[in-house]
Order: sequence, then C-alpha cells, then structure tokens
Amino acid sequence: MTTTQEVVRKIEAGGQGVFVEEFDEQEGHLVLNMGPVHPSTHGVLRLLLELDGETVLKCEPIIGYLHTGMEKECEDQTWRAANTIVTRMDYLAPLFNEQAYCLAVEELLTVEVPPRGKYIRTLLAEINRLSSHFVWFGTQGLDMGAMSAVFYGFREREMILDFFEMVTGLRMNHGYFIPGGVWEDLPEGWDDVLGNIVAILPRRIGEYEDLLSKNPIFLERTRGVGAVTQDEALHMSATGPVARAAGIDWDLRRDMSYEAYGDLTFEVPLQSEGDVYCRYLVRMAEMHQSVSLIKQLIEAMPGGDYKNMDPKLTVPPRSELNRSMEAVIHHFKLVTQGYTVPAGEAYAAVESPRGELGCYIVSDGGTSPYRAHVRDPSFVNLQSMGRMAKGGLVADLIAIIASVDPIMGGVDR
Amino acid sequence: MTQEHTQPASGDWARQAAMLKKDGWWLADLCGLDRLGIGGKDRFEVVVQLINPSLKERRTLHVAATGETPAVPSVTGVWPGANYMEREAFDLFGIRFEGHPNLTRILLPDEWEGHPLRKDYGVGKVPVEFLPQPLLQVDSPGQAPSGQAAGAALDSLGQVRVQQGQGPHESEEK
Repeated sequence: MTTTQEVVRKIEAGGQGVFVEEFDEQEGHLVLNMGPVHPSTHGVLRLLLELDGETVLKCEPIIGYLHTGMEKECEDQTWRAANTIVTRMDYLAPLFNEQAYCLAVEELLTVEVPPRGKYIRTLLAEINRLSSHFVWFGTQGLDMGAMSAVFYGFREREMILDFFEMVTGLRMNHGYFIPGGVWEDLPEGWDDVLGNIVAILPRRIGEYEDLLSKNPIFLERTRGVGAVTQDEALHMSATGPVARAAGIDWDLRRDMSYEAYGDLTFEVPLQSEGDVYCRYLVRMAEMHQSVSLIKQLIEAMPGGDYKNMDPKLTVPPRSELNRSMEAVIHHFKLVTQGYTVPAGEAYAAVESPRGELGCYIVSDGGTSPYRAHVRDPSFVNLQSMGRMAKGGLVADLIAIIASVDPIMGGVDR
Repeated sequence: MTQEHTQPASGDWARQAAMLKKDGWWLADLCGLDRLGIGGKDRFEVVVQLINPSLKERRTLHVAATGETPAVPSVTGVWPGANYMEREAFDLFGIRFEGHPNLTRILLPDEWEGHPLRKDYGVGKVPVEFLPQPLLQVDSPGQAPSGQAAGAALDSLGQVRVQQGQGPHESEEK
C-alpha cells in the first residue's frame, strides 16, 4: 500500500514529477500544475488542474506572477505621469488603458476635450483594437496547430505598430492620450499611411477567415468546446467577446457611448453558443467593424485643437516656448509640479478588446491620484475559465485559454 | 452616463446586494479604498460599481468595512464574479469578506506581510536586504585584488573605508 506522498516522490524520481502536485491513487485523480511557464498559457498564467485521465475535473487559475504594484505606483506620480503607468497594464491594448484613465480624470476636472481630440482618440483606439485582435488571432491559430495564423497576424500587426510609431513615437506603451486630449497632433501624411493600411486590411482579414473559419480541424477543436451560457457569463461579470459570444448584447461603445462613438455607425457582433468558435466569430466580425469605423473616422476627422489648450492643464505647443515667457512658466510648472485635480471620485469605462476596462479614480485635491484602480477585463474574465474547462479535455483547455485572450500584464497589474 | 452614490450599511450589504440584483443590477467592479488621507467615518471602504444594462445606468456604492480587522459581508453568493475582486481587495487592503469561499491572497505571494495599498504602507519603505559579503570576491593569487586589498586600494584614494574582510553593507549595519 503506497501513500499519495510516496507516489509523488516516485513520479518526481522518474524525472517528470516536477509538474505533478498530487496523485490520488484511490480515485485515480491527478493534480497537475500547468504553467506559469508554458508556451500556451500566454504569459505567466498558472493553472492548477485536477484530472481524471485526460478529462479536466477542476481548473483553477493562479495569478500574480506579473504583479508589480502599478496601482500603488500611480499614487506616487503626478496625474499626467500616472498615465504612463496605466498604459503598461494591458500591454496589447495600451491605448484603452490610457483612454479609461483620461476619461476618469477628465470627469473630475470637468474639462472638455475638443472634437478633434476625441476623434483622434477614437481612431487610435479602434486601430489598437485591430492590432490586439491580430495577436489573439495569431495565438489562437498557433495553439490549434495552425502555424501560419501567427505569421499572418503579426505581419498585419506590424503595419499598425509602424503607424503607431509614426503618430505617438512608440510602438507600445504610448502615453499618447492625456487628460484633455492627446499629446501631439497627428503627423503630416497620416491619412495616406492609414488609408493604405485600411485598404489592405479587409482582404487580409478575409484571408484569415478562409484559413480558419471553415477549416475542419479548427471546427472540430473549437465547436462546443469551453461553452458558457448567457446566465453564467452574466453571473461571472464577464464582458467583451466572451460575453457577446454567449449572447449578451452589450457593448459600451454603443450602449454607453463615449468619445466619438455616438457619431459613428457600427454593428455589435453577437453569437449565442458561448463556445470557443463563437468567441472566434465575434472577434473576426469585430475586426471588420473596426475597419469600417476607422474609415468613417478618417472621413469625418474634424479640424481644430487636438487637446484642451488650457495652459494650466496641458503643456503649451513647442513653438510657443520660443516666444512667450508665460508659456515657459506654464511648461515649467506643469513638468515640475503638475496640476491639481478637484477632490472627488470618478469611474469611467471603455470597451477594450477584452471587455469593460474601467478606471476608478479618487482625488484628494492634490497633484497625484489618491487612488487609481483599474478594472481589467482579463482579470474578471479569467474567473469563467474554471467553468469553461470543466468536463473538457486538456487539449481543449489550450483552445479555451487562447479564446479568453487573457493579458497577464492587465490581470496582475 | 449617470452615476449615483449611495452608502448601504455594511451589516445588511449582502441582503441589499441580493435586492439590487433582482432589480437588474450587475457587478462591474469592486475594489478597496483606504480613507486614511481624506478622512471619513470609517477608514476602509469597499467601492462597488454596478451596472444596469436595461436602464443603461451605472451606480457607485460605498460599503464601510468596520471592526478591528475591517470586514464586510461577501457578495460572492449574489454575484459569483465578485470572487476575484474581493480576493484582490483582501490581498491589497486586508479587508475581510465574511462568507467568501476562498479568501486568500491573489496577487501577492501567500507569505507576504502587510497589505500594500494601505496608506500607511509607503512606497519604498520596504527594507532591501543586502547579503553581508566582501566588496570584491575575486581572489585568485597574483591577479585581481582580494576584498581586503580592494578595501585598502579604495581607502588610499580616500573614497570608501572598507573594514578588513567586510563589505560596505555590513559595516553600515553596525
């Protein structure tokens, strides 16, 4: 008669046991540790699995491996600088973090963003949604064994990152949205570059669909896999494609419109089965919608100021520093001290590629946030994973992780 | 976007939550708040963001966490999605959620001491531990200087005084 401990030791001695946490001989259940370093867990997600053979009986995500205390860090920065911290949370969709933060701060400041500023932000956010979905597409395909998907996805993402570099100076973690507008106006020739990209993309996304949407292997591995019902998704506070694939008709862009979305026409893709394939379909349709939104935004881009020109809030344009002493003083004050924000609290949320990305801000009237909390959609959506994985196979789990699309930078913050 | 602020009593928070859910309010976010620097009746609060998809409204609730170790009733029974959010508030603020199925640290390691988002847990106040060891450990004869020799060399330059066989960190501790 061997005890569980002895079995564990025996397995460890066999050289494979580093992953095995526990083995119950009577029941035949194996507790297996997947991650945090595993190619298909998309970063440092660790899953504790209880298995009966190949069947997953229980799946518990264990997180925190990328926790760097960003919320605490924000409390030590000026209002402007805290923006550069939040942008590093969900690193595939940095502009959405900035957008939620800026909207919350602007609500406390009660400042108006000029129309051009709003349009630029909406435009860049939609482009960012595309680049984030491209990475999802690539990794979803890669995890299902469709190696070419990752090459296609990253090829298109590269074009977008080049455009981001042209506009913001950086490929990611831009710090481009600021309370009051955006940091710089769009550079000359932006519409040509973006026009080219947008002209190419619909065909490329069509190629993606040709590649996977009717691929029998892909269908076999995703249809009916990892399903959650509408009710379960609601109870788990799931948002974004995870919720819309389960039939929850909810999109903040349409239902609680912010920035320039009120002036635009678009559809919210909806599915009802809630499985991996439905999440795939929702995201693919969202990409087409984003392309259409970008086209509308290029057409309708208004002129005028790109940010609120109040010198007490945003730094004066570089050209003014050469001729105005006042501009230099304002610049100096803003850079060294920053501005104060009236005491109070605000919560603003945007529809990020993964769902509701909210930012809760508390100010004590000082020059730095008293509390900055980010409600990250990946963090909340991860809770549904236990339900999705239950009863499926380990191989299904790989498909499920990719379809939830968790970004650990956002989960752990 | 309409935002309404209400403060339910912490005692019947779980009951109120169940009533709110019946009216179509769903949980969007839940986080902790330490009011040490901005004042208030109770130091710790749980800030709850609710959303009502049919009314298209949001609502912010502040639930005071009272007691020696601040505590509020858990709402995981009402909205299971509160699970991770409550664990996060427990982890970073030390607010206990009574009735939570698995109230353990979520972002920090289990053996972590303290709750970092509390206002008396300052940034940079965590002592960094240096291991007591010589400044330079390269000690092959005739080549690089030993710790002692390096100390003497630096001393002759009038820069750093390194005691015999000890590194600067250890001498600081004395």
